[in-house]
Amino acid sequence: MRRVFAFLLSLGLMTAGSLPAQTNHLDLKGKQIKLAILGVAGWLPSKLPSDMFPEFAKYAKEKYGYDVTCTYADAPFGALFQKAAASLATKSNEYSLIVSDSQWLGAFTEPGWIVKLDPIIKSDPVLSKLQWYNPVLETSYMEYPDNSGQHVALPQETDVEALFVRKDLFQDPKEREAYKQLTGNDLPQTFEDWEKVDFDEFAKISKFFTRPDKNLYGTVFQHSKEYDFQSMYVYPFMWSMGGEFWDPKTHDTEGYLDTDINAKAMEYQKTFVQYEPPGALNYGIAENIDAFTQGKTATSIMWAAVGLAMITDQNRDKVMVVPPPGIKQADGTIKRLYCIGGQAWVVNNYATPEQKQAIFDFLKWWYLPETQLEFAKKGGNPAVKEVLEDPSFDAINPWNRAMKYMIPFNRDFYHSPKYAELLAIQQEAFCSYVTGAMNDPMKALHWAAARQQQVFHDLGDTKKKANPAYLKLQLN
Amino acid sequence: MNEQKAVASRHWKSTLYYTVLWVIVLIYFFPVLWIILSAFKTKNELLATPPVWFFRPTLENFIGLFHRDNFWPTFFNSLTISLSSVGIAIVVSFLAAYALSRFKIVGSDFILFLILSIRMVPGAAVVVPVYLMYAALGWKDSFWPMTFFYAMFSIPFSLWILKGFMDGVSVRFDETGLANNASRFHIIFKVILPQVKPGLIAAFVFNMIFVWNEFLFNFILGGKQTTMIPTLLVSDSVHEGGVDWTFVASLGAIYLVPPVVALYFFQKYLLVGMTFGTVRGEV
Amino acid sequence: MRRIENSKLYPWLLLTPTLIFFAIWNIVPLFWMVGMSFYNYSLNLGRPPRFVGFDNYTDYLDSVDVWLAMSRTFTFVIFSVGLTTLFGGILGVLFWRSTKMPGRRLALTLLFSPMILTPAAIGTFFRLNYDPTFGIFGYFTRLFTGHTLDYLGTEGWAFIALLAVDVWMWTPFMLLITLAALGSVPSAELEAAEVDRLSIWRRFRYVILPHARFIIMLGIILRTIDAFKVTDLVYQLTRGGPGGTTEVIGVMIYRKAFDALTMGWTSGLAVITLLTAIAFTAIFLYILNLQKRRRALK
Repeated sequence: MRRVFAFLLSLGLMTAGSLPAQTNHLDLKGKQIKLAILGVAGWLPSKLPSDMFPEFAKYAKEKYGYDVTCTYADAPFGALFQKAAASLATKSNEYSLIVSDSQWLGAFTEPGWIVKLDPIIKSDPVLSKLQWYNPVLETSYMEYPDNSGQHVALPQETDVEALFVRKDLFQDPKEREAYKQLTGNDLPQTFEDWEKVDFDEFAKISKFFTRPDKNLYGTVFQHSKEYDFQSMYVYPFMWSMGGEFWDPKTHDTEGYLDTDINAKAMEYQKTFVQYEPPGALNYGIAENIDAFTQGKTATSIMWAAVGLAMITDQNRDKVMVVPPPGIKQADGTIKRLYCIGGQAWVVNNYATPEQKQAIFDFLKWWYLPETQLEFAKKGGNPAVKEVLEDPSFDAINPWNRAMKYMIPFNRDFYHSPKYAELLAIQQEAFCSYVTGAMNDPMKALHWAAARQQQVFHDLGDTKKKANPAYLKLQLN
Repeated sequence: MNEQKAVASRHWKSTLYYTVLWVIVLIYFFPVLWIILSAFKTKNELLATPPVWFFRPTLENFIGLFHRDNFWPTFFNSLTISLSSVGIAIVVSFLAAYALSRFKIVGSDFILFLILSIRMVPGAAVVVPVYLMYAALGWKDSFWPMTFFYAMFSIPFSLWILKGFMDGVSVRFDETGLANNASRFHIIFKVILPQVKPGLIAAFVFNMIFVWNEFLFNFILGGKQTTMIPTLLVSDSVHEGGVDWTFVASLGAIYLVPPVVALYFFQKYLLVGMTFGTVRGEV
Repeated sequence: MRRIENSKLYPWLLLTPTLIFFAIWNIVPLFWMVGMSFYNYSLNLGRPPRFVGFDNYTDYLDSVDVWLAMSRTFTFVIFSVGLTTLFGGILGVLFWRSTKMPGRRLALTLLFSPMILTPAAIGTFFRLNYDPTFGIFGYFTRLFTGHTLDYLGTEGWAFIALLAVDVWMWTPFMLLITLAALGSVPSAELEAAEVDRLSIWRRFRYVILPHARFIIMLGIILRTIDAFKVTDLVYQLTRGGPGGTTEVIGVMIYRKAFDALTMGWTSGLAVITLLTAIAFTAIFLYILNLQKRRRALK
C-alpha cells in the first residue's frame, strides 16, 4: 500500500514538475498520433531512433496519455535530400521528422519547410537547458544562417572521421622490427602514439603495409563522386595545410578555393591512392567498410558513425580506433582540421500541430541522458555534454575516445541553400583530378571556384562576378 | 545410300545450327539468369570471389523479403496502379482510335503527332513540369493522380496500336451496321471491338510492362503511399555496411517474373507493341 | 441518342477523354515548363520566381557543360544505335530460318527479356556485375587479363561499360526488327533469287533491302529516340560519373532539377530537349508517310 502511495506521489510530482512545460502543450490525451521519420539509408544512427521508438511510445502513453506510432523511410545519402525536398516542396507532411545532413540546413530553412526552433526551445524548460559537448556541434547541427544565433535544427548524430587500425598487424613484433629497420621509426602502438602521427609518417606506414601480392593495402579513403565523398577526404588535407574553401563573410570562392595550398593538398592526397586497394577511386562509405572488414587494408579513415559496421565479430579484437593523421606545421606541431560529419533533426513545418507536439515530446525524451546513453550503447554518437562527459562514456564503444578527441578539430562547410550545386561542382573537379582524368590541380580548382563563385553571385551573396576565363575551362 | 547420307548430314547440320542458336541465347540471357540464381544464394555466396557456381539454394532471401513491412504494400501498389491506369488508358484510347479511324477530323494527323511526341521525350524533361504542377495542386503521393499520370502515359501507345488495327477493319462493317439501323455504340462495342482484340491485347500487355517497369515518375511523383517495385528496389538497396545484395536479387527476381511470363505468352504481339503498332507481323 | 450520334460533334465526343488527359497532363505542364524557362527559380530558396527573359537560353549556349552533355548524348546515340543495328542484324539473319528450332518460343523469350526489364533494375544489377571485387565481370576480367579493372570508376571505361549494357538491352529490339523486315520479303522473290544463283550481296542489295528498308528505318529511328532518352540506366549505373564522363542530357536535367532544384534553368533545358525529340518524331512520321505514299502509288 505504501508503495502504491509512493508511486502515486512520485507520479504527482512528475506531473507537477512538468506542468510549466505544458503551458503551450496541446492536450493530446487519448489521441492517436502517427509520425514518420525520414533518415539516411545504410546509416545505423538514422535508424536507431525508429528502432527505439516503441520505448518512447510507452513513455508518451504513460506521461502524456496519447498513443503514438512511427514509420521509418530512408534513402541513400546521395538521394535523401531529393526525396525530402521533393516531398516538402509540395507542402506535404509525409515525413514529420527528417534527419538532415548539416549542409542542408540552409536549403531546408530558406523556403520555410522546417520549424524555426528558437521560440520553442526558449519556452521549454527541458530543451532550453540542454548543453552540447562543443560549440562546433551547435554551429554545425543547429545554426542557420552562420553566426546568426538562429536555431533551425537539433543534433541527431555527432560524427567525425577517425582512423580505424588493425592493431594485430601493428603489434606484430615482426612487423614492428621490419618497420624499424626500414624507416628508423617505431610503428605507432597506443592512442597517444597516433596523436603524434602526421600524414608524412602515415604515408610511410601505408607504403609499408601495401602488399598487393598478399591482397593487403596500406589504407583506404573514399574517392567516389557520389554526394560529398571525395570532398570529405580532400578537405582535411587542405584545411590542415592552411587552405580555405571560401571567404566566410563575402562567400567569395575565387581566390579562396583555388590557391596554391589547396592545389598542393590535392596533389598530396592523390599520392595516397597508390596505397589503397584497386577500385578505391570509386569507393564510397560501403565499399570502404567492406575493404576494411574483409582485411584488405591495414587502416581506414572512416566515419565514427559506422563504427559498428567497421568492427565486426570477426575483427573485434584486432581493431583500435585513434585520431586520424594531421599535417606537421613549421613549428613542429601537428595540425588537424577535419570536416565534420553527422546529422541534425529538422521538423517538418507542414506537420499538424498534434504531430509537432508529439515530435517535441519525442525530442525531449531523445535528449534525456538515459535515452542518449542507450543510443550510444546501440552504436550511436550523442551530442549532449552531460552524456559525453560521463566517465563511462569512453568505454561504451571503441571509437568514443577518438571521436571526443577529434570533435574540437572539426568544422563544417557551407550551409548555403545552394549546397547541392556547390558540392556537385567541386566533387566533379576533385574527382576528375584524383581519377587522373586531368592532371592539373590548379586548373581543377579554378574550374570549381569560378563555378561556385557564379552560384554565389547569382544567389546575391556576393557582388564579385566569376572570372569568365575560368568559366570557359574544360575539365577533360 | 547417298540419299541417306545427305539426310543425315542435313540433320547433323540443323542440329549444329540450333545448338549454336541456343548457346547464343543462353549467353545472352546469362546476366538475367545470374540475378535469378543470386536470389537463391546467401550473402557470402553472392559476393564470393571466385563466383560460386554450385550451391545449395536457400529461400531465406525470399522469406526475409516477404517479412519486410514495405514489400506487400509495394507489390500491391504496383499491381493496382498498373492495372487501373492501363485499363483506363485502353478504354479512353479505344474510343479515340475509333474516332480518328472512322471520321475525317480536322488536324487528326497533328493530334496523333502531338500525342506520340510525349513518348519521345526523355523522362527527366517530362517529370519536371509535371512535378511542378503536382506540387502546386498537392497531388504528389496520392493514388489517383499517380494512376491518371500513367494512364496518360499509356494513351499514345494504345492509341497508335488501336488506330492501326482499326484502320485494318473495313468500313463496310460500320456501313452495314448503320444501314441495319444499329447504333454507333453497338457498332463500336459489338462489331469493331471483337475484331481488334489482338490490338487490345498488345496495347494492354505493353503498357502493363511499361508501368510495371517505370521508376523515375514513381520516384518523383510518388511517395510512401504509392511506392512501386522499381522504386523500392532502388531506394531500399542500401543497407548497413553496403548494398543489400540479397534484397536486390530476391526482389529483382520476383519483379522479373511477370514481364518474362507475359513475354512468353504474348510473344506474337511483341513487334506490334515495340513499334507503336506501326509494324505488324509475327517473328 | 441518335441525334448525338449523327451530330458533327460526335467524333469529338469520342476524342474528349483523350483530349482531357492530354490537356491536363501535357498542355498544362508544357506551358508551365515553357513559362518557367524564362524565370530564375529554385525550389529551395524561398524566393519568388524572377523573370530573366532569355537568360537561361543564352546560358546554355555559353555553358561548356551543356555542350559536353549534348555531345556525349549524341556520341551515345550514334554508338548505341550503330552497334544494336549491327548485332541485331547479324542475330536476325542467324535466327531467320529457325522456325523449326526446338523450344524456339522459350529461346526468343529469353533473348528478348533484357529489353522489357526496367532500366532502373538493370542498372542496379549491373553495378554488382561490374564491381571489380564482387562482380562476375570483374572476376572474368581478372581471370583473363590478370588485372583488376574498375569499369564504372575508370574514365573512358565507364562510358564503354554503360554503352555495353545499353547495347545488350536493345540488341533484341533490332533483332526483332530485322526478323520482321526479313519476314516482309516475299518468299517468291527469294526463291527466284535462289534459282538465279545471285550472290549473297546482290541478293541482299536487290531483293531483300527494297522490301526491308522501311521497317529497318523505322527500327533505327525508334532506337535513336530511345537512346536519346536514356536516363534511368545511367543514373543507376554511374550517376553520370566518373568525372562527368557519362553525364548525358537526361541525367543532367534530372540532377539539376532534383539535386540542385533549379527549376527555371532546368525547364529551359527540358524545352530544348523536347524540341529535339519532336524533330526526331517528325522524321519518324515522315518515314511512315513515305511508306504510305509508296503503297498508294502501287
